[in-house]
Amino acid sequence: MAARNHNQWMAKPPLQQGEWIDSRVYTDQEIFEEENEKIFKNTWIPVCHESELPKPYDFRTTSIAREPIIVCRGPDNQIRAFLNVCPHRGMMIERRPSGSFFEGQPSGNPKRMTCMFHGWQFDMKGGCVYVSREKEGYQERLCKDDVGLRRLRCEVKFGGFVWVNLNDKAPDLESWAGKPFECLRKSLEAEPLEVFHYHKAIVDTNYKLWHDTNCEFYHDFMHYHNRVTGFNDAYFARKNEAFDNGHIVVGTFEVNYDKYEGFESRASLSFPHLPPNQWYMIDLFPGINFNLRGSALRCDVVTPLGPNKTMIEFRGFGLKSDSKEDRMTRINHHNSIWGPFGRNLHEDLIGVQGQGNTMSPGTEPRRVLHGRQENQTIHDENGMRHYYDEWGRWLNRLPSSPDKPYTAPEAEAVTAAE
Amino acid sequence: MASVPCQPLICGEITVSNCETVREAIYQATMALDDQKWDDWLSLCDDDFQYSITSFSPEINYEMTYLAANKKDLRHLVDLLPKHNTDHSPLHRHTSIYSVSPSEDGKTATAVSSVIIYQNMLDGTHSHVDAGESRLFLIGRYFDTLKLEDGKSTFLKRELKLDNRRLDKGSHWPL
Repeated sequence: MAARNHNQWMAKPPLQQGEWIDSRVYTDQEIFEEENEKIFKNTWIPVCHESELPKPYDFRTTSIAREPIIVCRGPDNQIRAFLNVCPHRGMMIERRPSGSFFEGQPSGNPKRMTCMFHGWQFDMKGGCVYVSREKEGYQERLCKDDVGLRRLRCEVKFGGFVWVNLNDKAPDLESWAGKPFECLRKSLEAEPLEVFHYHKAIVDTNYKLWHDTNCEFYHDFMHYHNRVTGFNDAYFARKNEAFDNGHIVVGTFEVNYDKYEGFESRASLSFPHLPPNQWYMIDLFPGINFNLRGSALRCDVVTPLGPNKTMIEFRGFGLKSDSKEDRMTRINHHNSIWGPFGRNLHEDLIGVQGQGNTMSPGTEPRRVLHGRQENQTIHDENGMRHYYDEWGRWLNRLPSSPDKPYTAPEAEAVTAAE
Repeated sequence: MASVPCQPLICGEITVSNCETVREAIYQATMALDDQKWDDWLSLCDDDFQYSITSFSPEINYEMTYLAANKKDLRHLVDLLPKHNTDHSPLHRHTSIYSVSPSEDGKTATAVSSVIIYQNMLDGTHSHVDAGESRLFLIGRYFDTLKLEDGKSTFLKRELKLDNRRLDKGSHWPL
């Protein structure tokens, strides 16, 4: 068929339910607000890595679904998370991205989290230890025990990542994401990891479009590097495996890095228990990616800022025991592909930006195809189908028609093009 | 190495300061990079040239290296650019040289320059709307080491130390 008229363009594709979605899932403000409330406030998010707060009293600040969060390491070496909100009048307690409470601040004492506004102080367990002129103002009506910080579920797991969940009743992290991590658990937990890379991108696109790009490898046609180092029989045999809770794992194969001019094999610096030059990827619902290319680990975490605005934080990791020389080699391996000036990341970000342009709020709803079926191998789009089925359950919306309630994909017969 | 004041150099019939040749090299590099004349830029660099883009992250408390390359790596990088998809929006650098410090033996000099890089949008986020607009892309400083020889300066080392950690789409091009 040649180019289509409007009716043809708007017709349902000759695919089954679940093999395409409606672009309103990327553009609708109401859906975005629902995602924050129903998904991001109820799922585990790796907000930082334990190596970002190596000493007692170190802290990091972050946010999930607009809720400000502070993570700190106590004198007992435990890492805990709290809402970064003073219970007095709602001031953000700590404004810096990172630092240490070991030293005093203009409004407060050492070893305390202090709200600069009125000088209330909290210990590393979130207990209130000082209320300025407490007795004079509150007499016996309110005391420090009544005004502790809001404690958040926090676990350090899967290679030292600090995971936070805003829902006190959510399932534990192991049951949420343990199974997809099995493929890399031994490699990530053999010895401590250390972060060596951080940068962020804020792009005009929906967070799911970024996660889609991490879930599908059909877009390797966009990357010259991946074509020359990858496209062979072993590459096309890689499996996309679906796990409960909307997670997927992309299986490994041996990458021929030296096929790209100027690049070298990464075999000598493979992560523990990992055969040479392997490449695993774990994509966790709703927007987290762990990507291990032999010698370096990358982790992306999305923070949705609007239906068409997403912050992506990129981190890179090596082994804490690295020599200076090995660390530099790992950094080069990481950044030559995934750094902001590397061969692939720039291209990925151009791709999702282009999608964000054509699917910005107010544009005509489009159908986005997820219908490639290749026996769940690398260019099969089963990863995205699995993700959107989970998404539909969480929001009770049908991804192909988000005004309708969710139904399982099998419930609808093949629909031919009109 | 200790530095000394700028010294006059005899270049044919013209006497110039060795610091002037350093400044000239930095500005020539700026123009070559702006114009994407990669061969011209690399011709200003010694065979032992080392290039890096770095930034300190207070988030992770780490001196990061975003890109590290020698001259051979850079040759591969620029030769392969036609095979890579990229944002077509040109970059323009505003370079201000703050200091030039020749070494005591007069064989090398270090220079510190402020650099502001603008992106003149072509692709943009939506070219129909954004093309033609200039946006601030990156801010940082060049820390250069140059070899002084035969009345000219060639780059031995360049570190571009960025203030930015928010880098959005990034770039494929040397900065």
